Amino acid sequence: MSTEKRSITFLTDVRLITCIVQRGLGDTIVQAARDAGAQGATVYFAKGSGVRERLGMLGVAVEVEKEVVNIVVATEQLDTVFDHVFLVGQLDTPGMGFMYVTPLEKAATYIPHELVKQLQQKSAESAK
Amino acid sequence: MSTVRYGQYLRDVSLIAQSISYNMLAPKIARDPSGAIIPHVAPPVKLQGLDVYRLLKNYTQGRFIEQLKAVAPLAIYLMLFQLLILNQVIQDSWSITFGLFGVIIGLMLFMEGLMLGLMPFGETIGNLLPKRSSLPGVLTIAFLLGVGVTFAEPAIGALKTAGQIVSVEKAPYLYTLLNDWSDVLVLVVGGGVGLAAVLGTLRFIYDWSLKPMIYGSLAPGLLLTLYALTDPELEKILGLAWDCGAVTTGPVTVPLVLSLGIGIASSAGKGSSKLSGFGIVTLASIFPVVGVMLLAIYVKATVPVEAILAAAKSASQVGGALPWYETSPGVDIVLGFRAILPLVLFLLLVLKVMLKEKVKNAGMVAYGIGLTIAGMCIFNLGLTYGLSSLGSQTGGILPAAFMKIPVVETSPLYMYILGLAIALTFAWILGFGATLAEPALNALGATVENLTQGVFKKSLLINAVSLGVAFGIAIGLAKVIFEIRLAYLLVPSYILGLVLTYFSTEEFVNIGWDSAGVTTGPITVPLVLSMGLGVGGAVGVVEGFGILSAASICPILSVLITGLLVRIKTGRAAKALAAEQAQQNA
Repeated sequence: MSTEKRSITFLTDVRLITCIVQRGLGDTIVQAARDAGAQGATVYFAKGSGVRERLGMLGVAVEVEKEVVNIVVATEQLDTVFDHVFLVGQLDTPGMGFMYVTPLEKAATYIPHELVKQLQQKSAESAK
Repeated sequence: MSTVRYGQYLRDVSLIAQSISYNMLAPKIARDPSGAIIPHVAPPVKLQGLDVYRLLKNYTQGRFIEQLKAVAPLAIYLMLFQLLILNQVIQDSWSITFGLFGVIIGLMLFMEGLMLGLMPFGETIGNLLPKRSSLPGVLTIAFLLGVGVTFAEPAIGALKTAGQIVSVEKAPYLYTLLNDWSDVLVLVVGGGVGLAAVLGTLRFIYDWSLKPMIYGSLAPGLLLTLYALTDPELEKILGLAWDCGAVTTGPVTVPLVLSLGIGIASSAGKGSSKLSGFGIVTLASIFPVVGVMLLAIYVKATVPVEAILAAAKSASQVGGALPWYETSPGVDIVLGFRAILPLVLFLLLVLKVMLKEKVKNAGMVAYGIGLTIAGMCIFNLGLTYGLSSLGSQTGGILPAAFMKIPVVETSPLYMYILGLAIALTFAWILGFGATLAEPALNALGATVENLTQGVFKKSLLINAVSLGVAFGIAIGLAKVIFEIRLAYLLVPSYILGLVLTYFSTEEFVNIGWDSAGVTTGPITVPLVLSMGLGVGGAVGVVEGFGILSAASICPILSVLITGLLVRIKTGRAAKALAAEQAQQNA
């Protein structure tokens, strides 16, 4: 093993979906994203404001504390995951949250070794 | 040939997607002649029915389920036990179901209101008070706050309900304390909590050790208990006195007094001690015991038995025509208002007059206070019709398992020993389950695991406390059934507690003594109290108090012992490790 050079495999064609929802609802968002094919998600806590102040009496029903869910997806998956999360999270209700997509230049993480080999062979073949 | 991406196709047939430029939504900002921006005020959002439904569903669902989880398992356990083991139909099952529902709704509203309405008050006062007032002023406020929160504690209502079941002939002083003197009783308990708040605050500031405080406050408690043993009339109030300590440390007192204390400590620049926050609960459960015993001695000295009997007689004679506000459900609602309003007025007065500070977020705070009051009223109603009713019913027929009681014709249902074992096992499981479900214990467990750097695992603490409470409730039930004198149980166990305290480290002393307080929440207390009184009534003993006090000391002992064991174990492991390293080095 020590003779082999260490390597890094970049992932391209990745997008970041960020979804901000009330505290306690992050898990449903993560689950929805996984159902739609996302591999994983990162959640962190934040505070946010916006629609809450404009709801009048019902503002009390919206938590100030938020959960920010970061989901990295492939460009092909993007629309499926985005739409599914939007619908499951009921983001068309005022105060329920906000989501957006950011382009990412590249990403890297654990990729199963045999999978990398397989894909490299394929791309080599298509190059021929 | 044109190509269409499959994902795009799916999207087009399943969802109407359109895009709008954000530029079209963003407001146009007006400027005044000098070019400065006129602050933009966003117009209110118009809500549709579905939106309101979704918002409210999302808001209430989780909070409802949280309380449901705490109430339902216990209620179902009690009902199943009554149906399957005792073979008794549940009486008034409809009103009990509605009552339990009321408890859930009431607690849900109350806790939400507490978070929104009362807690911000406590924190603001805690932060501002030390900057604008001298230490004696701060301590006075802390004391008064301790008294006020005791009145607001939901479980206190259970004590008053319990008073109605006590027989005046058998225990006149117990009866008079719970009925004629009930307000004074709560005041004395509140005074104890207030004193605990004062000492706890001083402890925050000066970083005192908890050990001498425990010795100092338990000594008079135990001495008074021994004194009460010499007087047959006084002895009957011992159960009540020691139970009061368990009642006080509920979901209002602990967070409010803590938020005040921590606020004071942090503005004194001493807030970051890792044990700050512990200890107040302990003191708040010992001082009221001493207070109630002193009150009982005072009442005994001033009021003769005959006067109590006469008063009780005349009260029962006019009993038919009580005004609406003295019968249920009127009285429950009146009690709800009386519990919260004085506390709110007091906090408001301190904020406005002493601190000359405006209430931030006034609308939200008002909404929270409204919720608290509504929740308290509904909770009181649910307590009367649901929890207390269910508890005293099950308690009343529990002895049918092993002895003949008039209510159940086929009793005894089982052989004496077997029936007794069933009854005690029932109590044991009740205690274990109720404690495991207590959310405060979970929070304490997490804190403890952090504090001890993972040496004392969260699950270990939860199990230790639950086992302690389980044995405590079983022992307490045995006390009621066999009429064991409570002092014989409590004095030795507390002395054992003191010995263990002496040998334990400061951390475990704090954790151990506080764990007793968190176990007795607003659901456990009424249920166990009314069950004890029900059993007591069925067996024919004088009073059925004392179960809660046994359920308080046992977890203290179990946590302290576990703490010592953990320390011995880790000490050995560390020694072994050191020895190994020394060997390797050599």
